[in-house]
Order: sequence, then structure tokens, then C-alpha cells
Amino acid sequence: MHSMNTVVLVKGVPDFREGKVSFKEDNTLNRGATPTVLNPNDRLALAAALELKVKHGGSVRLVSMGPPNYKTILREAMEVCGDEAYLLSDRMMGGADTLATAETIAAGIRKIGLPDLVIAGFKSADGETGQTGPQTAWVLDFPIITHVVSLEVDEKARLVRARRTAGDDIEEIEAPLPCFIVTDPGFTAVFRSATNRLRLLRLGEETVARASKIDSVFKMWGVADLGVDPKKIGLKGSPTIVNKVEPIPVAAKERTAQVVDAKDAGQLDEVARRIVQLVRG
Amino acid sequence: MSVASTWTPKGNYRDMWVYCEQNHGKFVTCSLEMLGEARRLMDKYNVDYKADEKVVAVVFGHKVDGLVQEAFEHGADVVYACDHPALENFILEPQTKLLAAAARGKDHYKSYDEPRYFLFPATNNGRDISATAMAALESGLASDCNVLYISDEPIKHPVKTRRNEVIEEIVYPRILHMKRPDFSGFEWSTILCIDDPDKDFHPQSCSVIPGSFKPLERAAGRKGVRVNVAFNLGEKDQRVKIVKRERLPIEVDLTKREVIVAIGRGIGSNPTQGIKLGVELAQALGADVGISRGVVTAKYPVDASVQQYTKEIRQIGETGQMVKPKVYIALGISGAIQHKKGMDKSKTIITVNSEPSAPIKEFSDVYIHGDLFEVVPKLKEAIQRALGGKNGGKV
Repeated sequence: MHSMNTVVLVKGVPDFREGKVSFKEDNTLNRGATPTVLNPNDRLALAAALELKVKHGGSVRLVSMGPPNYKTILREAMEVCGDEAYLLSDRMMGGADTLATAETIAAGIRKIGLPDLVIAGFKSADGETGQTGPQTAWVLDFPIITHVVSLEVDEKARLVRARRTAGDDIEEIEAPLPCFIVTDPGFTAVFRSATNRLRLLRLGEETVARASKIDSVFKMWGVADLGVDPKKIGLKGSPTIVNKVEPIPVAAKERTAQVVDAKDAGQLDEVARRIVQLVRG
Repeated sequence: MSVASTWTPKGNYRDMWVYCEQNHGKFVTCSLEMLGEARRLMDKYNVDYKADEKVVAVVFGHKVDGLVQEAFEHGADVVYACDHPALENFILEPQTKLLAAAARGKDHYKSYDEPRYFLFPATNNGRDISATAMAALESGLASDCNVLYISDEPIKHPVKTRRNEVIEEIVYPRILHMKRPDFSGFEWSTILCIDDPDKDFHPQSCSVIPGSFKPLERAAGRKGVRVNVAFNLGEKDQRVKIVKRERLPIEVDLTKREVIVAIGRGIGSNPTQGIKLGVELAQALGADVGISRGVVTAKYPVDASVQQYTKEIRQIGETGQMVKPKVYIALGISGAIQHKKGMDKSKTIITVNSEPSAPIKEFSDVYIHGDLFEVVPKLKEAIQRALGGKNGGKV
């Protein structure tokens, strides 16, 4: 077994789940009162890495950029899959837009050593740009396959074979290793053999145990460690700025609603009859 | 009082470029919508700044002559076309390289350094190439915008307008203001792409949400300048190969449905039960089920039996499916503008909501005030009674 080296990119985002997320009165997100969790789409990138580790062995390294407390995000990710975790953290990295983030992450990956595969999830739940993955691939000069729903590696031929969604089509893609993969929200790992299912269980238990004592496999790197050009990262390396945030005005009144009190059975019956008439008409 | 100074970029930039995505030899609708908006923006720009800058379309594909003419007829003054069998299906890397070469190169039309502005469709492929193209051109972009305008903008910024340790106010001329709705649909961020004291960041770019803008009426026979982009890529630029491409059956198509029951965050206190009630109501009416963006992002832990109804493919709204059924029944949906845009062409809109100040009331025909967990079972029974009267209970 050649043993695959994989890097998975993960990110912390506000927890949008009901009961966790907090909105202000004007319906905008109350960031201070909303906890940070692993970006849900990143779980699919981790699932892809785990699938490859089950089938090909090798190591999976997790990379994130963010404040020091993002170690908890890396732990959450490692509970799914991961041998080592790297947090790129430095005040000088703060305020980065997607291009500056891509430069930073690419520098982190180069310092680890170029892997066979980099896997990222489809866009983050907060920024929702979907740009950081493709831009990181570009900075690394890796071939890239986005919207991947299933994945296979041919170690002998040093090839990735992937299925990806393309509008209303599905494509079968071939690309050489090393390669950059962005998983689609519809990604599914496939385990056909009993051996692989058992391996999946064992690796799952191992990674949960590893995550519980993450300190021994955790590294935090700053700008000096990465040797990245300070002009290309953080606020300085970011072409874009957020100039203004404003509430979107609510839509103008377009229809005058007939108001029905749900407690009045007669009124509800009338609405029901109207609905049925409309549906039939 | 000091007067703010005005920024002058080091490079020479002109025109608004539009990446016109095509699929199976046809423009995706957003391509024509962007050309329309680019035309409106640049017509105003040319008046405001007494300029003569153009709308430039980028058309890559195989056998694109028809598309090139179509771009002219929808508002493009110039088309950068690359016509090659390898471009029949979209592949990110070669398309990015050709686009970057065209944007940076000089030719019989273009003598400036790089485009001033660049628009991309916020489709899967469009978002991808917007990102890689700006990485290649080392500039910035906003994603998923739905409002654009150009004006001068005074800016104070800790890096961009810092001069000798003082943060000054500097007026940046001709800035493309790119407004994007956030995940909740209740907030707009205005993103600007601003040059740095040491480095210009051009083109100013964004991706545009399909459906945000209207295409121009087609002006048959309208002419323009065509620039042919040479396909000078080698093996190393074409590392990703499409081995096979086949049609995927559309899993959930709500756009042709006549009756839709849509479910929103109002189910939050008991998501599984809320979805079940919505599905039962839909079944009683022979309707299909849609969901709001809020249900997608909330990632409710629901029973496996209803999980299929929480998937993004059922999302209705500006960034989901745009529906116009005869009857739209919204359960526990507050009515952010991004949801409204996906459903307000429905003939009759019936809303169940416990919050009388919910925006959705302003575009509903019937507003049923009450808790959906109580109202929906009663409404379903009432509908079943109403159905029972005729046709033996069938719609």
C-alpha cells in the first residue's frame, strides 16, 4: 500500500441549529450569543478522507485558520477523521478575505509537505462564498474537481476518479494526483466489503480517542512559522472590504391578507373550502 | 478642514466584462441577465463619468458563432470568443487560464491593462471560475450579489487608507458597489474591491444571483467587435478530463407544481412533527413539499422518515427553486425577501404563522393566525371535509 497523504480543510462557523443560533430583533445574526461549531459541509470532506483512509491507509491532516480557540473546531473535526491537526493562527492573519485566506492555507499546506489530496467542503455556512477552496487549489497549482459526489483513487496509476454534479448532468472525471477535491453536499462514501466496514468502525473509534487528547497531535503556526509574505495575508492581502451592513427592507405590501383566527372553526372551514376550490379550479 | 484626497490607480483599467456561461450550446439565463445589467450600469457610467467604456462578453465553447451574435444582441459591445472542441463542456482550469490571458493580454481591441469590472453568474461553474480567475488575476470578488451600482466612495480603512501611520479618508472613484444578502436573507453586506497603496486590485468582481436582473429585449442584428482568443493550452493546462457526461434525473422539481406546501423555521420546537404535519397536509391536497432557506441552514435533527424533506433540493427562494403554483401554503415561514422572490408569483398565498408582524403577511392572500402545530391538523381535517363533499375525497 502506497499510503495516501490527505489534507482536509475545516472551518468554524456560527451554529445555525435551532436552539443554538441567536437572532437579534431585526432578524440579523447575534454573533456574540451564537456558539461556533465545525462547518457542516466540512463533515463531508472529512467523510471523504475517512473513506480513502479505510481503503488506502495513510494519514489525514486537518488544517484550519482562525483564533486560538479554534482548537475546539479541529477536535470536533478529528472526531470524524484526522491524525494530526494544524491551526494557522496569528493576529496578522485576521480580517482576511478569501484570497488572503487561500494564500495562508496554501502556505500551511506547503509547510506540512504537499499531500496527494487536499479535500475541502462546499462553501461555509456563514460566508457562503465557496471561493476559498478553488482559490487555495489555484495558489497550490493543483488540478481541482468541485462538486464531487463520489471518489476513488487508483494508487498505481496515480489517478483520482470522481463523479461530480454539473447542472442537470453528472460527470465522470479523471485527474492526476496530487489533486484538490471539493465535496458536494450530496457526497456519499461507499463501503461494499465487510473488511472495509470493520476497518471503518475501528478507525472511527481510534480517531475519537485521538481527538479526546488532541494536544499530542496539535500544532499552531503563526506567520513567522509559515514564512508567508505578510503582504499576501490578513487585511493587507485582502482586495475586498465589507463597507456596509444594512437590513434588507421588508417587501412592500403587495396583497391584503384576509386575517383568519385559527380558533374559529367556521373561518377555518371557509379557508379549507376556498383552498379546495382553487386546487380544483 | 481638510479635503479628502482622491485615489488614482497605478494601472489602466476599462470596461465591464461579463463571463457568459453556456451549457450544451445555450447561454444559462443568468448570462443574459448580467449582460442586461452591465449595459444599464455602463450606460449610466458613461454619462456620469463622460466616458466611453464598453460591455465585454466572454464566450467560451465549441461552435460559438451563434452565441457570439446572441451576446451582441443582448447588449455586449465586444465579445472575447474562444471556439474549440475542448471547451464544449466546462472544465475549470483551462477556462480560467484562457480568461486570465484574455483579461491581461493586449490585442486589436484591448490596449488597457485589465478589465475595470468583471461579472460572473452565481451558478456552480460561475462561482468556481469567479474564484479561480480572481486568484489568477490577484484581485477580489464578492459572491452571490443581487444589487450593483457604481459611484465614488469615501473610505477610511486601517490598511488601504493608512498614510504615514494616519488613517485618512480617501475617495475611491468609480467603485462597483456589490450588495449580497446574507444567509438569513434579512441583511445586506456591501462588498467593495479596493486598491491598496502598494498594489492595485482590479478587476472589481462579483458573482450574480440568477434572477436578480432582467435581460434586455433582444435587438436583432445588433453588431459588435469580436476578438478571437487563441486556444494555446497544452497538456499541463488540461489535467482534469471528463470521461463521461450524462443527464441526471431532476430529483425534485417544484417549479411546475400547481399546489405547494412550504415549511419554515416555525417547526423549530418539534421539527420532525412539524414536517410530518406539512407532509400530511400536502398529501391531502396532492401537493408537493418545499422548505425555506431557514430549514436548510438550521440542520434540524429529524427522524429518518422525514429527512428527505429537509434537503437543499427542496429549498424555495432566490437561491433555490422559483415557483409559481396556483396555491402556495406557507407554514411557519417569516418571509425574508429571498424567500419572497422564489414564491410571490404564486396565484394564491395562504400563510399559517403565529407572529402577526411576520413580513410574509404583507404578501399573503389569507393569513391564518395561530401556532402551526395546532392549526395544520385542523386545517387538514377541514380540507378533507371540503374534499369529501365532491369527487369522493379526491382532488
